[in-house]
Amino acid sequence: MVDQFVMLALILIKLVLVFAVVLSMAAYLVLAERKILARMQLRYGPNRAGPGGMIQPMADLIKLLTKEDFIPATADRGLFLIAPGLSALTALLTFAVIPFGPTLEIFDQKLPLVICDLNIGLLYFLALSSLAGYGLALGGWASNSKYSLLGSIRGLSQLISYELAMGLSVVPVVMMAKSFSLTAIVMAQETIPFALLNPPAFLIFLISIFAESKRIPFDLPEAENELVGGFHTEYSGMRFGLFFVGEYINLVILSSMLTVLFLGGWHGPWLPGIVWFMVKVLAICFFFIWVRGSLPRLRYDQLMNFGWKVLMPLALLNVLVTGAILLGMG
Amino acid sequence: MPLLRDIKGFFPPFWVTFRNMFRKPVTVQYPEQMPELPERYRARLVLTRDPDGEERCVACHLCSGACPVDCISMQAAEAEDGRRYASWFRINFARCIFCGLCTEACPTLAIQVTSDFEISKRDPLKLVYEKDDLLVDHCGHNDEYSFYRQAGIGVAAPRGTNPSESAPVDVKDLLP
Amino acid sequence: MPTLTIDNQQVTVPDGTTVLEAAEQLGIVIPHFCYHKALGAVGACRMCAVTVVEGTFKGLKMSCLVKAEEGMVVTTDDQQSVEFRARVSEWLMLNHPHDCPVCDEGGECQLQEMTIASGHGLRRYTGKKRTYNNQQLGPFIAQEMNRCIQCYRCVRTYKDYCGGKDFGVMGSRNRVFFGRFKDGTLESDFSGNIVDACPTGVFTDKTYRFKSRYWDLQEAPSICPHCSLGCSTVPGGRYGELQRVRSSVNEKVNGFFICDRGRFGSSYVNHPERPRQATRGSWKLTVDEALQQLDVKARELINQHGPESVLLLGSNRASLETNWLLQRWAEEIGCRAPLLSAHLPRHQAAQVAAFDLADRLCSLEKVRQSDLVVAIGADPLAEAPMLGVALRQAVRSGGKVKVFDPRPVELPCDFEKQTVSPTELLDLLDGTSVESKQLVDLLRGAERPVLVAGGLMLGAGGMLRLKKIAAAASNDQRNCLVHPLLGGANSFGAALLSLPEQDDLLTRLESERIKMLVCVETDPLLEAPDNERFAKALSLLEELVVLDYLPTPLSVHANLFIPTTAPVESEGTFINNEGRQQLFAPVIKPRLPISVTGEGNHPPREFIDVAPGSDPIPSWQLFQQLLGEATDLPTLREKMKTAVPRLIDFETLQPGGVSCRVAHVDERCIYTDEIPAAPEESLQLVVTPARYGSDLLSRYSAKLQPRFTEACVQLHPQDAAARGLQDGAKVVLDTVEGPFNLTLKCNDKMAIGCALVENGPKFQQLVPGGKLSFCKVHAGMSHG
Repeated sequence: MVDQFVMLALILIKLVLVFAVVLSMAAYLVLAERKILARMQLRYGPNRAGPGGMIQPMADLIKLLTKEDFIPATADRGLFLIAPGLSALTALLTFAVIPFGPTLEIFDQKLPLVICDLNIGLLYFLALSSLAGYGLALGGWASNSKYSLLGSIRGLSQLISYELAMGLSVVPVVMMAKSFSLTAIVMAQETIPFALLNPPAFLIFLISIFAESKRIPFDLPEAENELVGGFHTEYSGMRFGLFFVGEYINLVILSSMLTVLFLGGWHGPWLPGIVWFMVKVLAICFFFIWVRGSLPRLRYDQLMNFGWKVLMPLALLNVLVTGAILLGMG
Repeated sequence: MPLLRDIKGFFPPFWVTFRNMFRKPVTVQYPEQMPELPERYRARLVLTRDPDGEERCVACHLCSGACPVDCISMQAAEAEDGRRYASWFRINFARCIFCGLCTEACPTLAIQVTSDFEISKRDPLKLVYEKDDLLVDHCGHNDEYSFYRQAGIGVAAPRGTNPSESAPVDVKDLLP
Repeated sequence: MPTLTIDNQQVTVPDGTTVLEAAEQLGIVIPHFCYHKALGAVGACRMCAVTVVEGTFKGLKMSCLVKAEEGMVVTTDDQQSVEFRARVSEWLMLNHPHDCPVCDEGGECQLQEMTIASGHGLRRYTGKKRTYNNQQLGPFIAQEMNRCIQCYRCVRTYKDYCGGKDFGVMGSRNRVFFGRFKDGTLESDFSGNIVDACPTGVFTDKTYRFKSRYWDLQEAPSICPHCSLGCSTVPGGRYGELQRVRSSVNEKVNGFFICDRGRFGSSYVNHPERPRQATRGSWKLTVDEALQQLDVKARELINQHGPESVLLLGSNRASLETNWLLQRWAEEIGCRAPLLSAHLPRHQAAQVAAFDLADRLCSLEKVRQSDLVVAIGADPLAEAPMLGVALRQAVRSGGKVKVFDPRPVELPCDFEKQTVSPTELLDLLDGTSVESKQLVDLLRGAERPVLVAGGLMLGAGGMLRLKKIAAAASNDQRNCLVHPLLGGANSFGAALLSLPEQDDLLTRLESERIKMLVCVETDPLLEAPDNERFAKALSLLEELVVLDYLPTPLSVHANLFIPTTAPVESEGTFINNEGRQQLFAPVIKPRLPISVTGEGNHPPREFIDVAPGSDPIPSWQLFQQLLGEATDLPTLREKMKTAVPRLIDFETLQPGGVSCRVAHVDERCIYTDEIPAAPEESLQLVVTPARYGSDLLSRYSAKLQPRFTEACVQLHPQDAAARGLQDGAKVVLDTVEGPFNLTLKCNDKMAIGCALVENGPKFQQLVPGGKLSFCKVHAGMSHG
């Protein structure tokens, strides 16, 4: 009985901690992105709120909360209200299956550092990332604005196109790890990460998650200079904030997925597993920002061409080749 | 080969942005660090006085006519000595674009620009400057010119006594 | 019809056209100062130089003086002419004080334009400038002689064209001076025209001094509302205030100039007590609420007491549209047709002009071209000032002017005056008397005779008699034309809309069947005879509704008051005395002027979306609201044209555009005039409008106040002596409308057996244009 109670308490603590860490990471990622981008452009970035701008996320939050919550007169009210929540929620839920450290032993209890080790964790991730498309689609549709609609249409077709490549690129991983459980996949990389074993799959997945996160160079759904704000043009205040924060949670999730699937998760020498995991995730986040500072946006036709004519065949080929090699090796 | 060129072109931007991160930003940190303004910087407008200490503005409406955003309004009036002056003069700095066309139009050098740009306010009505707020106690850029001593109106000096004028004629004189 | 070539363009012009006018037809503007279309050319300024390449006289010539010839070749842009004009403009600028910033002409100054156009920019002459001392020329005109370029336009306007006597040119050499012999008010009633004529800022409008720049003014073509002539004007306003009026060009009517009453009589718009709020007693209402109350009350009374119980009263101040919509509303609520004038005799005279005389009416242009004008019962300077200037043009081109009138008529030209009393006037027109036959003979002898019919003095009966004289004087070759003078700006329009028979306002009011009176832009207390009877009859009413834009005494009595807009604030139509439909455009929006809301200082610092005092809406819109219609004016005009077929081309007219006369009709009025028997020792009462302030608009104009004259009764010295009265004595004028205390003035230029009083701001009780009546004048004071 006591064991079960402790177990429950631990799970709750774990949940709250993960929730807080992910949210604050998302918030400070925004600040980090603004500061790093600024420095890349020879600016300072936000440096007024708190020392070095450290409480800028708080200021932003207060600003967004106190802003007028504006709903266009012709909007589909119900859908308009749901869409941002859907977007943030699907992003948060994904974290349930991500293992962020080796199993701990506390009070004689085995405490796996994952909220729920689903045996089909990978499929869960793929399913939820598909669901994220609904936030986007509904937001754009419900706004009843041509910019929003164009933005969400672009976003949806981009998600569909690149999810295909993404899904195919993880097939070799599953084949190598012989499991859909993310913990099992990490365990399979104890000696050598899959990024080195199968670089093509790694690259395809990397590119796909850029498209999945709707960031430069694939930020067509919200291309500011064409579509005002893209699918969230009509949103203001905290509703916009939810979209915004959802995007950055998504960034953390995708970085974590890349770490888990290809970079060996928490494995690494000298340092504790959880630290290694954080370091890897943050490094990938930095890479996301760096790419944003360096690359221009693709044209829509280039995006589609690349997705369907390059990535997809490559991923298919990679599955075949990896399968053949695995078969050959027995 | 375009593919090769594309791949080659992919990496330099990363190097550029990475290098920039370790350079000193060029931003001027304004309230702590004051910008150095050029001498002819155009900011807040003032109404100057002539060397005699009188208002230079004669409310001729040329500045308001030249103003592309219609931020200047005024009403002319006549003083007892015949001087034309502005009974009220208003510049709406919330609307002003600091183009300086008014100063170029001004025939009496009354309206002039200063380099005081720190005039932002939370209440737009506080940016509506009246004549009292605009009038200064000096001549501005030019400390010599006085319109009424050049134009043939008997205001600053009796008729016909300005340096460029001869005394008023006697119309009943029949001398050739 | 010579054909000449100017700057390689060919143009054919009538004989006698100058090169300057021919170039104008091609759209080539040759710079000029002293030439003015109305004044002609004198060749004084030397600005219009052109080079004649082929022609009788070759070389550099003044284009305003050279007549166009067949085969002439002229260049305006060759080096010689361009350089000549640049030098001329430089020399005209030698003595100019360069004070444009403080000059009211700046922005609309021909000298500025021509100096820039001729390419002169920098003053090279370093000698001293000539200066003048200025004169005080009264309340209307400000002078600044230093700016003068000696083009003589002012003298030619004031003296030659308008017939003023107290202004001229003096001095010699470069000391030539334009002004009066000594300081003093300019006496002419057309003095304001030198402001328009002066190409630079020597003469400026003193009442507009330093008020606005030309480019800041809101201007629109309008029609002068002060008399029945309907001169074209361009009023200008700024910041909710009507600041000035300048003349506009209408060759059919006023030509190029206007009178001082029209020019300086516009400040009624800015009257400090002007009502701008709908009220019921002391309650403030919105206009919508007030209209609702008006509608409900009128319908309720008609249901209870029948169609007789509501009386609507239109006016000659209200536009044609308003009067027509008033009639429509009367049909809608089911009351009797509205009266369109409170002053029945005037209205009947206007009806004679609108119906019987319609095929003989002529414009002022025809008056100017006439060789014989006989004015009967007309005092042009009091009733229609610009007619005086038109008569002068007739005289200047060789015509004759003859005046039959009891009043001491003055005209700005030579004329022959026959002083006759009002009854003698009617005798003169009866067609059987010796004088009458002489008059017909005189008219028959002329080539282009015009009869000026003073509607106020003659009344409907007299006008009908005059029609017979005109018919007798006409023959197969030409008509004897008639130019009638009517009561107000839209008298003709109001007469044209109403039926030829109408009963009297007072008789109907005193019948006690009327419960509600709606006065639209009229005040019978000031604009109709027997105003004391009217004031008493007001107490019989249950409800008095007044719609007006003036602070009239009647609006104080009103149970329900609804503000309307002045003519310069709304669009509408007036039909002038000769049946010309003329449209006026809105110049400013109704609102409290900024000079009032800012109390002389800067405007208040506040954000509001409605300007204070902007409640009034045009009266035609009020009636459209009552009728539940909301059409624009063109649609309304089309409807009106269908309903009133005489308004030909009405829907195509534009403000400031071509104007057009109403069609003739075969309807005829039947009015008889009775000459009442004169009581013993009585005098015929002659009430004449004062030159300034007899119409309500100029009475409420502060600018005209210096011109208002003191009230007095005038008698011929013989009559005064017969009664033992001295000039300047306090006397009692006993009339049917009651006794009045007045000062006596003897005047030997008026008819014997008449007593003359001027209706104006200082004496408002008797209104001109009433029926023939008699009075007594005796010494002493009356009580009560």
